[in-house]
Amino acid sequence: MADSYRQINYSLRPAKAVERKMICEAFCRLYPFGKIETYRYVGFGSIYFSDFQLFHRILGMNDMLSIEKDAYARECFEFNKPYKCVRLDCRPASLVLPELDWHVKTIVWLDYNSKLDETVLSDIGSVCARACSGSMLLVTFNVHVERDPDETTRQEYTAETGLPFNLDNYRLRELRKRLGDGLPLEMRGNELRGKGLAIISRKVVNNRVEEALSARNSAVPFEKKLVHRQIFNFHYSDGAPMLTVGWIFFEAGEQYKFDACSFNELNFVRFGEEAYAIEVPCLTMKEMRHLNAQLPQGGVAAVTLPGVPPSDIERYAELYRYFPTFAEAIFT
Amino acid sequence: MPMPTQDPKRINASPTKEFFIYMLTRDIPLTRATLDLVDNSVDGARRMRPNGDFNGLWVRVELDRDHFKIADNCGGIPVDIARNYAFRFGRPKDAPLTPGSVGQFGVGMKRTFFKLGRHFAVYSTTSTSRFDMDIDVEQWKSIDHPEKADEWHFEFRNVEENLPGVSPDEIGTRIEITQLYDTVSESFGLENFLTRLKQEISLAHTLSMDRGLAITVNTIPLRHEPARLFVSDRLIPAFVEKTYERENLVGQPGAPVKVKLFAGVAERSLHDGGWYVFCNGRLVIRADQTSTTIWGPVHDMRQYHPDFAYFRGYAYFDSDDASLLPWTTTKTGVDVDSPVYKSVQQEMIELSKPVLTFLSNLAKEKTAFENGDSTDRPLEQAIQSAEAKRMDVLTVTPTFVAPQPRPVPAEPKMQKIQYSKPIVEVEKAMQLLKVRTFTAVGEKTFEYFMKYEEEE
Repeated sequence: MADSYRQINYSLRPAKAVERKMICEAFCRLYPFGKIETYRYVGFGSIYFSDFQLFHRILGMNDMLSIEKDAYARECFEFNKPYKCVRLDCRPASLVLPELDWHVKTIVWLDYNSKLDETVLSDIGSVCARACSGSMLLVTFNVHVERDPDETTRQEYTAETGLPFNLDNYRLRELRKRLGDGLPLEMRGNELRGKGLAIISRKVVNNRVEEALSARNSAVPFEKKLVHRQIFNFHYSDGAPMLTVGWIFFEAGEQYKFDACSFNELNFVRFGEEAYAIEVPCLTMKEMRHLNAQLPQGGVAAVTLPGVPPSDIERYAELYRYFPTFAEAIFT
Repeated sequence: MPMPTQDPKRINASPTKEFFIYMLTRDIPLTRATLDLVDNSVDGARRMRPNGDFNGLWVRVELDRDHFKIADNCGGIPVDIARNYAFRFGRPKDAPLTPGSVGQFGVGMKRTFFKLGRHFAVYSTTSTSRFDMDIDVEQWKSIDHPEKADEWHFEFRNVEENLPGVSPDEIGTRIEITQLYDTVSESFGLENFLTRLKQEISLAHTLSMDRGLAITVNTIPLRHEPARLFVSDRLIPAFVEKTYERENLVGQPGAPVKVKLFAGVAERSLHDGGWYVFCNGRLVIRADQTSTTIWGPVHDMRQYHPDFAYFRGYAYFDSDDASLLPWTTTKTGVDVDSPVYKSVQQEMIELSKPVLTFLSNLAKEKTAFENGDSTDRPLEQAIQSAEAKRMDVLTVTPTFVAPQPRPVPAEPKMQKIQYSKPIVEVEKAMQLLKVRTFTAVGEKTFEYFMKYEEEE
């Protein structure tokens, strides 16, 4: 099977593009902790490096490391590096993260395509154990809950459990296989339906952050204890439903710096369980230009566009500043 | 404080309170220490209902960053027991036995108090008596003047005996621990800690919960999964029951140790496969995959392996004299040197062997099927058609019963060869040989070599 980056052109995923720009805007507010251009960025650039391009261009970051587990295609990744300041490490994150020098303020974006599993939790643990005050961690993973499987899988389930097939229990069993004992004991399979998996996954990763910081803080004085605040909780889908959770870490004595960031002024920031859903309406260039001419506007009821439902207009009005435009171009 | 000694030959070997407060508490993880108090409640339930029907009995655990509380309606602690036995460090020889008890070392409850915090209070009511006590550990520790060096007692705050007509609703015990140590408080505030604690309580007391005991943690009722084994007319778990006389174990007559062993297959799970050991209904080892039970060359057995992920063994040790059982004081493992365990371990190994043979054959059958060397899978079918059943309704036999593998057809013994070559070359060979699979490339090139190079 070909690698996922050859199946999907990541730079063309609209919801992801919106998310990336929103995140970038939030990073701009990190200045009370330090100049953003002095931050290091660690991400999974793939061959498109969309995040690297944006953060270098907009934020001026130039200490950038892309982690790529597929060592066989090293040449290809090297070739596609957009800037000289991007370094490449072709090893799994679980090997790279423990070797980094964590005295530098860092933004780490563990942008997986796969589902949440123990490897992801372990990588989260690595960052939480070492990241210095003012650093940020973002984790993205797939929260698609299993559909009714084929007959072979059903039979396998029955053979392995000795129980008749049940979709809820099957889903719960798959999740337990991935996460081990990390799930609450009282959880039931039917809680995974719909957005259930996303809600539970956020809780699991948040608990992991809490636990790792608690261990780290056990031997430091109060003002030096590293606290965490969740600022991102995005739900989006460019095909598969995805979840991005992001936290900032800072020493308890630096609460005033966190307050000065005023993340609460950004409408997409989410400090808790409630998620911000990025829903991208499908519009033509002409429609977008027409709407742009009427925006920003206090009440969107006044904004009009023939043949487009008001709900789409409302969504566009919320996202337009971050909206990607894809155009066909010929480079010569 | 050194005792003023009269006799120059006398050496002071008396314990200090610090030893119990700061040293003994290091030997046990926080979740297990907490579990010790649940054990005491379960013992109360056993004293109250020797027939084992725990319906209507409950244990409620409550914890957060500031306090720990456990309450039960399991009979309460009689004043006499509290006064003379329950709060002593170590079980006195003349202490009355709770038949089939979980607590037996006389360390659990106090160790938990000291591990968690600097202040504890106990309230207890039985059908005829009532007491409460409120202890500040620092204060207790400082009753340590030379002239009071052996002042080890606690004091009741209130005590009433020979009470008439205590309402059944009042009967029970409540323990509250406050002024928690920072690390304890930090852990109690973590959801992941609560999850682990709930898991451990639920696993440890599955049997008691199955008999009706309701346990809650922060008001959430714990769920439990009763153990199950696969059974059908072709697949029957093994079961052995044995009694070990006390006289043969410790040289004195008294209550025997009864042992029940089950071995068979159950839900395929790498994490859950292995042996489970219970002492008086309390789980002490979960899914053991080490030489503590049956695995590895020490026992001339194979190491635990993914092929054995279907394997389950259950060993239940029960005795009215809990000191005969092979558990450690922290109840986190077995005392592998205990005479009863050594003997039972042999049985566990023998009982496991046929199950492991079956599972190895199952794996071979799968490989043969996938390689196209066989077309039917009788062992896989036996697993598929079996049903997971609870231990109390199982059909059992003294030796594990399972279908035999198909006899291997009398063909020349085969050997697989494996090697890697650059894909470009292999694809070229594929074209030249006019075949479509890599397997065929391997076979044809080998045949080609043999045809031209084999000496007549």
